[in-house]
Amino acid sequence: MTFRCRRGDVVEALKPCDLKIAAGDHLAIVGASGSGKSTLLLLLGGMLAPTSGKVVVDDQDLYAESAARRAAYRQEKVGFVFQSFHLLPYLSALENIQLPLWLKGWSNERQRARAEELLAKVGLADRGNHKPSELSVGQRQRVALARVLANDPEIVLADEPTGNLDPEQAELVSEFLAELPQQGRTLIVVTHDPTLAARAPRRLELRDGKLEDSSLN
Amino acid sequence: MRLTTLVTREISERKSPFLTALMAVGLGVALVVTVRSVMQASEADVARKLDGLGANILVLPPGTAVDDYYSADLGGSVMPESYVARIALSDLKGLDNVSPKLSIPVAFGDAKVTLTGILPQREFAAKATWKGAGVFARPPEGCGPDSETVPAKLPETAVRRRIIDTLAADEVLVGADLSQRYGWKAESEIELGGRQFKVLEILPVTGTVDDSRVFAHLHTVQEIAGAGEVINAIEIVGCCREIAKGLGEGLEKLLPETRVVTVLQIVETQIETNRTMQGLSWLLSGLALLLGGAGILATMLSNLRERRRELGMLSALGAPASLFAKLFMAKALLIALSGGLLGWLLGVGLAAALGPRLAQVMVPLRWDLLPLALLLAVGITALASLWPIWRALHLDPARALRDE
Repeated sequence: MTFRCRRGDVVEALKPCDLKIAAGDHLAIVGASGSGKSTLLLLLGGMLAPTSGKVVVDDQDLYAESAARRAAYRQEKVGFVFQSFHLLPYLSALENIQLPLWLKGWSNERQRARAEELLAKVGLADRGNHKPSELSVGQRQRVALARVLANDPEIVLADEPTGNLDPEQAELVSEFLAELPQQGRTLIVVTHDPTLAARAPRRLELRDGKLEDSSLN
Repeated sequence: MRLTTLVTREISERKSPFLTALMAVGLGVALVVTVRSVMQASEADVARKLDGLGANILVLPPGTAVDDYYSADLGGSVMPESYVARIALSDLKGLDNVSPKLSIPVAFGDAKVTLTGILPQREFAAKATWKGAGVFARPPEGCGPDSETVPAKLPETAVRRRIIDTLAADEVLVGADLSQRYGWKAESEIELGGRQFKVLEILPVTGTVDDSRVFAHLHTVQEIAGAGEVINAIEIVGCCREIAKGLGEGLEKLLPETRVVTVLQIVETQIETNRTMQGLSWLLSGLALLLGGAGILATMLSNLRERRRELGMLSALGAPASLFAKLFMAKALLIALSGGLLGWLLGVGLAAALGPRLAQVMVPLRWDLLPLALLLAVGITALASLWPIWRALHLDPARALRDE
């Protein structure tokens, strides 16, 4: 699988491989920095078009579709968790959770009711009107997790979800994520955290662009 | 959550770029509003002054000398009164008043007095063949608020505009000098050219030869002269703009047998002043709007750079690229409308403050420039936002998301 950089150079990010992920899988991808883990995640999320290779989801070649259809795919099926949370600084916790629902066209009242429910689920019911800058790092990640669940995604793509957290918060987030496959969602976690990776029944290591199944080791 | 929530919250979070863009638009628009307000107030003022001079076009028999504009009708040459009908029935634009005159010297005791025949407005408009046709079927165009051709009985109007509503065959209006010289007053009975007249009004001082004239009904003067239906001048109050556009030439074509004289020096001064101010106004306006546009462009591009990660995140949540365009367009619209309003407020304020100093005119509050201000602001903001919006539409979401 190759990508074209801005300068026009073609970079081979992934060596030829055939990676199949079943619905409800819990998969951890580990590897050194710059090995292409995050690139693989963006690829699976329909955010980064390869110049060669295919990403097939539910028998549909994702990158044969238009950008608008891929956006709709993310809206309907995908939830991203980021290391740096990516919360909008000028919106409250509640409003940040409302974002995916607004994009789906829900009414303001429905958005709010669902966001309040999710915020309570992550233990921040009393922090709905707080802006991200008024929350601790762990609380911000919990808001981000609540936002991921807002559109009830089938696939959750987590990029270093515990990277910025202290061990206690990291454990809480790990537990939260581990529940997702039990709910029937597919979870793909890119991480350096061996504890988080160890929770996944299936682990892949990305080394020199080559994916190796390390769960067998 | 609504689009407006996202836009207004973002603006309140990043106030400085918004205020910078607002000032860029506002100052550009303010300059346009100021220049246009002062310029138009100045034009109206000059036009009012010109209008105050009275007739600004004279139609005279050929060969008449025009050494003194105000006594050009005293040359003795005559032309048919029917020329007035020709003007009245023409499609010439900008004729606010047409007044035929016949001036003849008459005896008053041992002295000679100039008796000038004028046609009262009511009779003029009532002439069957002219009624509802040509110039009088149209409303007066005028140069300013004073130029409405409303028939009036005021003596001052009679002098300045050569308009008087009614004048009986045995009534006269007397110039100020004559009144003083012979002790004539309103209601005095006087004999001129062998006929008895009653003085209707004493005219105020004008500083022209009109102060030494007696004005009577045109047809009475024609009878005294015994030369038939002739006149020796047609005085016209023409709209300054139409004079500039060639009203004089139009009259020359219509009446090739006559000599047409305009108050050229005065009109040309006004035209030249207006032309200079208009040129300067467009130049300044163009520059101001260009600078305003550059300010918005820089602010919007900087805002786009600042929001790359945010847009990347929205893309990860499933936002289509069109949403980014909407976000920037909504912000641009807010900048444009607030900037336009701010610019108009600043502009009318500046115009009111600078008008008396720069152009010696009082500048009125120009509500009519508000739509122009808003339109300009929207136009310049839309143009300046095209490139940032295009870039937002073509943002690489993966690259934007990684823009740590």
